[in-house]
Amino acid sequence: MKRILIIPILAIVFTAALISVCILNEIEWDNRTYDSTLRGVIGLPSIAIGCNYEGTRNPLLEIFVRSLYDVPGGHDYIVSSSFIESPIFQQYYREGIPGFNFTWEKG
Amino acid sequence: MISRHKNLLSYSFDCLRRYRMRTVVILITFLVATTILSAVLFTKDGLEREAEFSIESAPDLTMQYIKAGRFAPINVSYIDQIKAVEGVDEVFKRTWGYAGIGLNTYLIIGLDPDGLGYVVGPMSSIENGRFLVPEDDGTGNVVVGKLIANALDVKVGDDIILLSESVDTNRFHVVGVFSDQSSIYTADMMVMSLSDANAFFKMPEGTVTDLCTYVKADQIPNDVAAKMSWMPNIRILDHDLLLRGYMAAYGARGGIFTTVWTMLLVAVILIAFSQAIVVGHQSKFEVGLLKTFGFSTLDIIEVRLVESLIAGFLACSLGMLIGYIYAAYFNAPGLANLLLGWYFLPSEFRLPVYASAQSVFSIYTVIVIPLVITSTVPAWLNAITDPELAMRRAAA
Repeated sequence: MKRILIIPILAIVFTAALISVCILNEIEWDNRTYDSTLRGVIGLPSIAIGCNYEGTRNPLLEIFVRSLYDVPGGHDYIVSSSFIESPIFQQYYREGIPGFNFTWEKG
Repeated sequence: MISRHKNLLSYSFDCLRRYRMRTVVILITFLVATTILSAVLFTKDGLEREAEFSIESAPDLTMQYIKAGRFAPINVSYIDQIKAVEGVDEVFKRTWGYAGIGLNTYLIIGLDPDGLGYVVGPMSSIENGRFLVPEDDGTGNVVVGKLIANALDVKVGDDIILLSESVDTNRFHVVGVFSDQSSIYTADMMVMSLSDANAFFKMPEGTVTDLCTYVKADQIPNDVAAKMSWMPNIRILDHDLLLRGYMAAYGARGGIFTTVWTMLLVAVILIAFSQAIVVGHQSKFEVGLLKTFGFSTLDIIEVRLVESLIAGFLACSLGMLIGYIYAAYFNAPGLANLLLGWYFLPSEFRLPVYASAQSVFSIYTVIVIPLVITSTVPAWLNAITDPELAMRRAAA
């Protein structure tokens, strides 16, 4: 085999391998129902990424408040504490997560 | 015509070898950038899909009691009011909370015995023993996740003594251990009957943590929730609200990294561009010579285009494969902490990694297209110069 063909062949091989991984992943995740009964019975929406702060698995992610120990005024820091190092997302968060407003209307 | 393109292709392959330094610089810089980005994106996609999957399995509406802006125990007397609302199928009680064992905090879930038969299907998530049945109510029988089982070194048949917040000792009997496959959901979980959980947390009489409401099959949960808006001190969480919360939480974490990575990508593109300019200068004489031999401007652009496409796809595909292996098989050390924020990842399970077609396509787009542009533009500028002038300048 000509040496000049090594790089193009490698590019094709790796691209084909990646596409295979991608297709397998799509199929695997689409068919992933092995513990749906358990999740249905327990009904908690969060996943078990552990945390030493209270509120981690509260359905509405109260971690953002509870991590500040819910001290007076703590609610003012909900947004800013969630986005230390990423101020650009603040606006998105305010608009996207109405549940973070504790006076959020029902229904 | 075809043989002309074959020759140009062959010449492009040769250029990749001839301009070795440029090829190596592009491969290494783009490989590093793609590896890091893909590991983060694939992990973020996996976390989002797992959360999405859990939310799909959650009750249609979760009802919580809000007092002074805070989440508090809800009185079970709400059940009758909720059941009276048109469209509601069933309401089950649930008590859940946290218990500190050693340095970590684990999740205690108390399930309503009446609700155990509501969701039907194969319970394949138990590795040893069995899941709870209605008869377990008040017996102290529990099913534990792998993280707890390993941390406490317990198995089916063993007893656990836990200290509650009120510093009481509580004895539980392990009747089941969740499987490894379900660890992403159950690793830190201890499931028991509702009355056991109420006793453990010393819940005030007649209260639970929240109420799980299921609507009838022909009803839209949001419409049913709207009919409950008159209920005092109630917060209603539907799937959509939960989904938006979780997507934003994981997406934002991924977003932080993507922002940093964008800066890295700009630096990488500048390196690639600088290399293209240097090589472009070196190849001025070559381009002049090629044009003298009859190569057109389009031929020269085609050569550079093929070169950059091959280098781009090689770096990008290999980078994504390494990123996938790094995240899926090694739990992305270093990056996982950044993505998970306050959370920690128990060693009992692996990061959920999902190499989605959308992410793969996005990475190809943001890597290969800038590379193609930064390579072909200098080539085009060289190619439109008069060949004689180009050779004289290169020789000067």
